[in-house]
Amino acid sequence: MKTIGLIKEALAQLFHRPATLRYPFEKAPVPEDFRGRPVWDMTRCIGCGLCSRVCPSEAIEMIGMGVQAEIKHHVDRCIFCGQCAESCPRKAITMTQEYELAGFDRKKMIYEFHRENLK
Amino acid sequence: MYTLTSILQILVYPGILFLLLLAFLYEWIDRKFLAKVQNRYGPLYTGPSGILQPFADFLKLLSKEDIVPTATDKILFSLTPIIYSVLPLIALFIIPIESQIAIISFEGDLIFVMFIFTLIIVTVYLAGLGSMSRFSLIGGVRAALQMLGYEIPMGLAMIGPAIIAGSLSISSIVHWQSVNSVWIMFLQPLGFIILTVCLLAELEYVPFDIPEAETEIVAGWRTEFSGRKLALIKLGKDLELVLSSALLTSLYLGGAQPAWILPPVILFIIKTMFIVLLFTFLRGIFARFRIDQTVSGMWRYLIPLAILQVIFIQLGVGR
Amino acid sequence: MWRGFKTSYRSVIRVPFGPQHPALKEPENFTFEIDGDIVINVKPRIGYNHRGIEKAFEQRTYIQNLYLAERICGICSDAHTTCYAQAIEDLLGVEAPPRAKYIRVIIAELERIHSHSLWLGIAAHEIGFDTLFMYYWRDREAVMNLLEMISGNRVHYAMNTIGGVRRDIRSEMIPKIKKGLDFLEGRMKRYMEIVKQDLTISKRTEGVGILKQKDAMDLCAVGPTLRASGIKNDVRADDPYAAYDEIPFNVITYDGCDVLSRILVRSEEIFESIRIIRYALDHIPDGMTRIRVPMAVPPGEAVSRVEAPRGELIHYARSDGTTKPERYKVRSPTLGNIPALCKMLLGCHIADIPIILAGIDPCFACMDRITFIDVRKDEKWVWSMQQLRRHTKR
Repeated sequence: MKTIGLIKEALAQLFHRPATLRYPFEKAPVPEDFRGRPVWDMTRCIGCGLCSRVCPSEAIEMIGMGVQAEIKHHVDRCIFCGQCAESCPRKAITMTQEYELAGFDRKKMIYEFHRENLK
Repeated sequence: MYTLTSILQILVYPGILFLLLLAFLYEWIDRKFLAKVQNRYGPLYTGPSGILQPFADFLKLLSKEDIVPTATDKILFSLTPIIYSVLPLIALFIIPIESQIAIISFEGDLIFVMFIFTLIIVTVYLAGLGSMSRFSLIGGVRAALQMLGYEIPMGLAMIGPAIIAGSLSISSIVHWQSVNSVWIMFLQPLGFIILTVCLLAELEYVPFDIPEAETEIVAGWRTEFSGRKLALIKLGKDLELVLSSALLTSLYLGGAQPAWILPPVILFIIKTMFIVLLFTFLRGIFARFRIDQTVSGMWRYLIPLAILQVIFIQLGVGR
Repeated sequence: MWRGFKTSYRSVIRVPFGPQHPALKEPENFTFEIDGDIVINVKPRIGYNHRGIEKAFEQRTYIQNLYLAERICGICSDAHTTCYAQAIEDLLGVEAPPRAKYIRVIIAELERIHSHSLWLGIAAHEIGFDTLFMYYWRDREAVMNLLEMISGNRVHYAMNTIGGVRRDIRSEMIPKIKKGLDFLEGRMKRYMEIVKQDLTISKRTEGVGILKQKDAMDLCAVGPTLRASGIKNDVRADDPYAAYDEIPFNVITYDGCDVLSRILVRSEEIFESIRIIRYALDHIPDGMTRIRVPMAVPPGEAVSRVEAPRGELIHYARSDGTTKPERYKVRSPTLGNIPALCKMLLGCHIADIPIILAGIDPCFACMDRITFIDVRKDEKWVWSMQQLRRHTKR
């Protein structure tokens, strides 16, 4: 005989806490390998340009050449694939856990990475 | 003085203002309870625990642009939301809320309430017709078709208490229940169940929310309404909820009666809240039926059961 | 003048479903001709989601195309990257190492669980059962958390690369994965019992959207739609790729040919996937997870097929020796199901349309392609990138 299947389940939910997270007051923890925003360690960067060439969405801009090169990262174009971190021969790029990167103005969503010894 | 008190009664308490507040309160209860069943929060931030959310939605809709498509029938399109929101108010004057006598009560007002229910569905059908859009037409036709299914069992289930109380006035039925200190629900449980199912269909709650099935016909008969008209329609839906729960309470659960030190209106609110919770729980545990399954199911199961209930009453069971 | 009434007056109205409609999660247009409450004709019109992806493949290098292939669809993203990686590995003449193949199987099956539980929630929503929809999606979070732990993202896992996989499943992850799978198995069993027993669900889905076995074969249906009509056809069993030839599993079929059978096929495939993942986790070999491959691919052609959650997915690649492919073609499973869909929709009620549409698990994002055919002159041609851009700017 077909019955109403969901009654017990529905009654049980009355005594449980809701499953929703009250973001932004409660945030879910991110795992350690999360692919968030990439950051460049400019002390290790040699300016080879591989990250810029391999990026699928042209989000990495390299200014200058060689060991004096600087990096501009367009976070509005980035797809957070992690290919730059994988291709870097000196492992200068790490994917952090930042994901709250929304903004109102595309021109402001550029992260720049400079070198300290630049005169 | 007499006319001033009756004007105050109609306009403020237990009249229009009080009923509007009750409508918003019941919509909040409905949304919160459904959210609890579905393991989520429901309205949360407007007011303490989201209690002002229905009012906020109403205000927001009033301020939105009112788009009238060119192909609509202007008179029907503008008039039906107003009529849809006013009809439940008229019927609510007949149901005793503040004391055991309603604001307006006369012999035969039960039949008048049944007539108002039919008028509401005719208004829905005309709204769908007047919108002149494919989805609204289908929605309006489905509403009328659904009414063919549940009108007879609803009438029979409402007559049951009238036969026992010996009068066709809702106030007399409530009075009979308080005089005999019994709730008719325990004497006629079958009638209670049938009336609940029929009122679910009249309110267009799942499993009978076919006229406004969201995934099939966008919003059914409500598709083309926007802005103030939609605000009035939503208000009308909430008032219908108050009317249905008040009717069920008065006919089967004893209605507005005093108990110990509590005035009748408090007991009325508690009982109607319980009925609203029942409606919401039933709303959460079913899928939607198809229109042909609804009408055929009602004619095959509900009508024989309703007739059986009346036969039981005549044979003396449940007196 | 009075010209005599027609005694039978048939009122046929045309109802458009889409491109914007609450029943469709993605835009396509179906125009139904409805008589009363019965559908008598349906005309599909696809192409609202065309993004010029096959052209975009030809402008990017092979490594960049990996991420483009992933974004053809959001839910079957891992199937697309597996198919792409296999096609390019075929052109290069290399094979992924055994550990990488096992990891590909684990991720593919986790994605299948994710996709099927998403679909089950959507199917419940289409028949008006919002509570079950909320429950399914709440428990789907368990799968997404597992995938986030393994791959770093909840959707678009980017685990595959040409020559293997990019990340490894470390041994401390394995107990957590098994715990998550046990939790999922318990919940999904409970929901499957509810689906089988519930009165309203069976009234809406039993006998609805019938696709007979012969029609399914003639119209080239794929995936669970085909398997719900009783035909045992699964790329993982017929043409094993990755590590499927070493893992024993069953191909689920049901004979009902209706929407309820499709629901049950997908529910059972979730259990089958859980079993496959457990076996793969226990028997995963040690070794490398990827091998180095050169940037330029020798000229040639390759075809690769995988079993996406929605059916059979085919990729075709042709290279000319440079770092960019010359031609790439994607045939997604939903495209194969559209003719069967049109057959299923004839003769149903309006109320059945959403659940039948949802029954084939449509993923219109993967589906849209353009080709130009002139029927009179019997000519076929394609557009260049400039022509495509000009057409969209108009």
